[in-house]
Order: sequence, then structure tokens, then C-alpha cells
Amino acid sequence: MTESTTDHSASKTKSVTETDGWTADKDLDLGILLELGSIGAGNAATSLSEIFQEPILIEVPKIHTLPPHLVPKFYQKHDTPITAVYMQLRGEADCDMLLVLEAEEAKKIAAMMTMSPSPEDIDPEMEASTIEELGSIMICSFLSAIADFVGIKLVPMPSHLVIDSFDEIIDNFLLTQDLASDVALIFEGCFRRSSSETKGALVMFPSVELQKLLIEKSRQWLKQDYSALIKANQYTFCRSE
Amino acid sequence: MQIPPFQPLSPINKSVVNFTKMAQNSVNSPTATKKHLAPQFSQSKVVQNHAAPPIEEVRVNMAEMKVEDRPVALVTNVGSCVAVCIHDSINKCGGLAHIMLPSSTVTRNKSFPLKYADTAVPALTGALRKLGKSSVALSAKMVGGANMFPNMRSITLNVGEKNVEAVRQALVAEGVRLLAEDVGGNCGRRVSFNVVDGSVHVRNGRREVKII
Repeated sequence: MTESTTDHSASKTKSVTETDGWTADKDLDLGILLELGSIGAGNAATSLSEIFQEPILIEVPKIHTLPPHLVPKFYQKHDTPITAVYMQLRGEADCDMLLVLEAEEAKKIAAMMTMSPSPEDIDPEMEASTIEELGSIMICSFLSAIADFVGIKLVPMPSHLVIDSFDEIIDNFLLTQDLASDVALIFEGCFRRSSSETKGALVMFPSVELQKLLIEKSRQWLKQDYSALIKANQYTFCRSE
Repeated sequence: MQIPPFQPLSPINKSVVNFTKMAQNSVNSPTATKKHLAPQFSQSKVVQNHAAPPIEEVRVNMAEMKVEDRPVALVTNVGSCVAVCIHDSINKCGGLAHIMLPSSTVTRNKSFPLKYADTAVPALTGALRKLGKSSVALSAKMVGGANMFPNMRSITLNVGEKNVEAVRQALVAEGVRLLAEDVGGNCGRRVSFNVVDGSVHVRNGRREVKII
């Protein structure tokens, strides 16, 4: 049974989904997923900062839960030309990952990485290859942070570069989400170079299986750590006595 | 830095300006002859037919349908989804539906009929017939159904092709003639459907504009 309520004005939409007894409406579950995403996004931003040798500013990551067909309306970036790197997870659970950059910003980044004098001078093939490489680095560092934290294997497939308008790129992922569930869960971590005004974003569309897996593992981890913390406190308490 | 949105009609408008200038220059220049003028005039005439002033654009979002009898262009962006444009040439009205999936039979949630080809096409034709207040023959044009990630066919389940096939069947069932289509491939498309003359401007990922 599924019920959903959406509010377009709010950045975070409230929803209630029940699938096979698993409930995604609990704030704790969303909080866990948001925290995992934040860890990954922080790691990815660090790797980007190391590549550029300049500070990278990251926004507080967001998690959106809303019906898939409302996502383009929510972002309002219909015709914006986008360069995106797409990677798909294979293994214990499926997940789509996207690194989204505005096309002009992607050109500038590629020029910086190839030490090209200006963005206009860079060869299109070289630009595509560079951005694909950057996407691989960022998405893999994002995944490896989450995988280390939760203790599962997250193995991505080879990356794929696509240059198109925002709506045209995102609709493929929304179809996949729509086939699996009535509510899409989107994690979004925005970042910006300190010398640029254009934002880029890491977007993750975790499948229902991956959401369950991440939450279960994190809950186990929380329980273990919590008991260990109590023990440590008792130990300190005993010693002080 | 904010990048301004692309305007689909701009290349055509630019070319009109260039042709007009060329024609004026050749008329003003003393060396101009009838032989030089002839092809330039004919070119400008052809292009001027499409050089209508830019009209108001109305956006159609995913899993939405809009029907208009005002002089507007219905605009949407499609990747694997399909945009179905149905035109009523007698009453000068038209409608566009942005279809996501081929069949409503596979879903448990029936609350969004405009998502599916088999339910959205009858809804669109029904709305147009109601708007036109007559049972004139409708004609359709279809755009989309791309496979954006051809190397990953198994992952995307090839929904694009299934969408196209489902729309074809739904149009046949509704008795609507399919006049033209721009489907398949591996890039997204921006669709701009002029409801007055029924023309559809399709801009692909390489920013080329095609009129169907």
C-alpha cells in the first residue's frame, strides 16, 4: 500500500511508503541514508580538492523522496545543458550514480585538468575523457567511503559520459525508479569550486534493496557501537571509583 | 554563472536575418543582376514561411498532458519517454502528452493514468475531441523513445522502444493517423509543438533542429 504527499515548495518532501513491511518514512532511516551520503560526498569533495589543488565548497547534502515523475518539475532545470557521468552499481544491490556538471563548467574543469590555456582550446574528445575520469574518481571515492563505513561491497560498472539537457538525462533514471517503486529516493550533494559560481552535484538513486541493506547494516553498526560505548563508560566509572 | 536556456527557434530566425540581409545587399549593390537575385529571393521566401514570431511556450512536464486552442507551442524534453503530439487541423488546436511507460497493466498504482501509453493516448484524443467539439480526423506525431545508454541495454530495460511500440498501438486503437515520427537513437530531444499549424520542432543532443 502506498500513500504519498508532496510539497514542491519545500526542499525535502514528506512521504510515506510501505513495501513488504519495510517502512521508509521513519526519520531515522532517512537520517541514516543522509548521513551515509554526507560521508561519501565529503570524501568525493576531498578527492576533487586534491585534483584541483583548490578549496571545494560543499553544501549540506539533501535527500528527496517524491514520486519520480515530479522530479524534473522539482529541479526546474529543464533545458540546462548538462555533462553527466553515469555509473551503475552491480553486486549486492543496484544503484544509479550521476555526477552532474553544467556543460560550461565541465569545459573549464577539463581545461584545468589537461592544463589547456583556455576552455575553447580543448579537444572535445579529450574533454569527454577527462570528465569521465573525474566522474570515476569522485563516484568511486563516494562509494568506497560508504562501503568502508557500512562494511559491504559496492562495485561500480565502467562509467558512461552523456551530454544533453537535464530533463533528457534524468528521465532514464526516473523510469527505472518508477518501475521499482512509487516514490523515488534521491540523494544530492552539491559542491562548488572556490573560484567558480557554478554548482556541480553528485546524485544517487539507490534501489529499494540498497536502501534496506544500508539501513540494516547501519543499524547493526549503531547497536554495536552503542553497547561498546556503554561498556567503556562503565569501565571508566569503575576505575574512577 | 547561470546559462540561459536554449531557444529552439533561434537558428531559424538567425538564418532568416542573414538571408534578408543578403537580399538587401545584393539589391543595393550596383553589380547585382537578376541572375544573382533569383536564388536568394527564393531562399528567403521558403524560410520566411517558418519565420513566424516566437510564440508563447507552455511546458508539459513528465506524465502530464496539455491541450490548447490558443496560439502557443507545447514544449517538453524527452529521453526514453515519448512525446505524442496530436493535432486537430480543422479547429486549429492540439495536445501533447509526455508518456513515461508502455503499459498500465504492470503497475499496482493506477492513480497516474497519464504516465502510461495505453491510458494517456485515449485521454489525449478524448480531451481534444471535447475541445474541438467535433469528431474530425486527428493526426499525430511522435518523438522520443531514445536509448540514452546503449552500452547498458539490459539495465535500462529498453523502455524507449517499448514506449514507441505501445504508442503506435494505442494510436491505431484510437483511429488516429501517425503522420511523422522521430524516435530511437541515443540522444534526448526537445520537442516544441505548434498547436496552430501542427508543426513539431525537434532539437536533438547535437543542437540540430528538425521540423517534422
